[in-house]
This record gives sequence, structure tokens and C-alpha cells, in this order.
Amino acid sequence: MNLTPAPVAAIASHLNPVHIEAGNRTLAEMQDLASSLTFASLLTDDGFEIVHLNGTHADGGRFASMSSSVQALSDAVAHELKIGTNEYVIIASELGHVIQLRVQGHPIVLAALFDTHETLGKGLSIARIAARRMAELIA
Amino acid sequence: MSEHVVLFAGPMGSGKTTAIRSLSEIAVVSTEATNTDRETADKETTTVALDYGEITIDDVTKVRLYGVPGQKRFDFMWSILAGRARGLLLLINNDAPDSVALLLEYLNDFRELHARGAVVIGVTKSDVSETPSVADYSAALTAASPDQLIPVFTVDPRNAEEMRTLLLTLVASVEMRELLAPAPTPISENI
Repeated sequence: MNLTPAPVAAIASHLNPVHIEAGNRTLAEMQDLASSLTFASLLTDDGFEIVHLNGTHADGGRFASMSSSVQALSDAVAHELKIGTNEYVIIASELGHVIQLRVQGHPIVLAALFDTHETLGKGLSIARIAARRMAELIA
Repeated sequence: MSEHVVLFAGPMGSGKTTAIRSLSEIAVVSTEATNTDRETADKETTTVALDYGEITIDDVTKVRLYGVPGQKRFDFMWSILAGRARGLLLLINNDAPDSVALLLEYLNDFRELHARGAVVIGVTKSDVSETPSVADYSAALTAASPDQLIPVFTVDPRNAEEMRTLLLTLVASVEMRELLAPAPTPISENI
């Protein structure tokens, strides 16, 4: 499978002050929408963390690498099964849900961990709003 | 039909994805992302989870080819995939800074697989950098593991025939190790 690489920004997102500022703002607004958000990260497609929220909960760098792998594997499965573009990934566990999706038009992934006080539907809705917001801020 | 699982490992830019594409009989499953780390390797994309391909050799042996990401921050994928492999094809790009030390470092990272399976080394990009030589790598490997003979080849990952030679050497080593492994004790002797 050959994925068409997304365009590379002049400065990689994890080193780009504009993207870092936009990311911090996006995640802060996301936190305002959901108190059940226990951790969130914006990362490059190749697994570099741009920013994260609530860093005491997880190793941000490792979470970014794992989210990148999960995103790529999910994309590969969708491609292999010819079911179109992978829109989002959900990992539902006993004590929390991880929801991740791409920031449209950019090689950036939003990954968020909600505790179980949030329904998957609401978590997904908030994650989509945040991904759109990030895209607007760096457009 | 017998099956083997082999792992392609090595630094970013050493040619793992290319090697699997050269060998595989099926469409390779790749997980590539836009590479933002152009200082480490100047290429457009990089593997972030795995590559997967398959090849049948001598009509009766299927080899499953798994490639791992080269960057250490993806080492959780190394552990996941190394657990199912019996052979390691370690590629090292000759133009990497201190490539001999880098080879030993990667070999140490996969020491558990090395201890129970077989290893073959492929030195890539020797057209870009003529040194170190194969002899330099062999000497370092012998010094690090005096009791083990690890074959070292120069190879172009784009060349299917060259890659096939490496793979056949690895599969032969895996099968040899399996033959030489002590037979399991019959249950009746344990009663």
C-alpha cells in the first residue's frame, strides 16, 4: 500500500511556534468542553508530540509514538478492506476511552483520553470539534 | 507447507521497507507517515508501525516478512513483532555516522531474538560510503559475540536477487538452529 504523503510544512509542526500555540489553544478549549478529558495530545503523523494537556497522566512522547502507529495501522486496515478513508479510531476500555482522528488537511493527529464519565458519542463529538478548530487556527 | 517469520530491523533510512517490497509476492502492507525528521533521514515518508510482506521459497516454505520502524521511539513495535519472529535481518546503512557502533547497538536491542533465533546483517548504501568494510563489521561482531558467527553481506535493498540471497541465508540459519535445538523431553520421562 502506498499512501500519498501529506504536504510537509516548511517547519515541522512539533517545531512550529504557530502550530504549538494553536495546539495549546485547541486543547484548552477542548478541556473546557469536557471535564472528563484526562489527557490529550496533538502529534505529527510520524509520532512527534506537538503539545499535550494534563501531562501527569501519561508519557506524552511515548503516547504520541503509539498513537501514530495506531493511526497508521487503522489507515492500513481501512485501505486493505477498501472501506474508504479511516475517519477516527476508538479504543474503549474499562477505565477510559481513547479517541483519535486527523486534523483535516494536515499531517497531524488529535488523540484524547476520556474517563468513563463521558459517553463515546460525546467524546467523539468534542474531539471532532477540536480537530476542526485546530485546522482553522493553522489554516 | 512450513512457515517462518523474520523481522527486518535497522536504523531509519537503511532500506527495510524497500527490501520487503523487493522480496514480497503480495502487495506490501505499509504504514508510512510524512517524515518530519529530515535531519535523521532525508526521505519523504517513514514507517511508523510495520511493513508486511510474504514470499514463498522452494515451493514449500512461506516466509512472513515484518519490517519495524527504524526510530527508537517506536521500540514498542519492536517488542511486539520480535516476539513472533525466529530470524532477524538487520540492515545498516554504511553512510550512517559510526555505523559499526550503530549495528552493535541495534543488535543489542534485539538480543532476545538474537539469543533464540538467527541473525544476518545486510550493509546498505555501500555505494554512497565505501567504508567501513564488511571485514570491519565482522571484526566488531566477532569481538562482541566471540561464540557466534553472524554473516555480513553488502546488499542493495532494491535488488530482489541480492535480498533473496540474504533471506535464504537467514532461513537456512533459522532451520539449522531448529534442527540443533535439543529435542523436547517426552512427557513419559517427566512422570
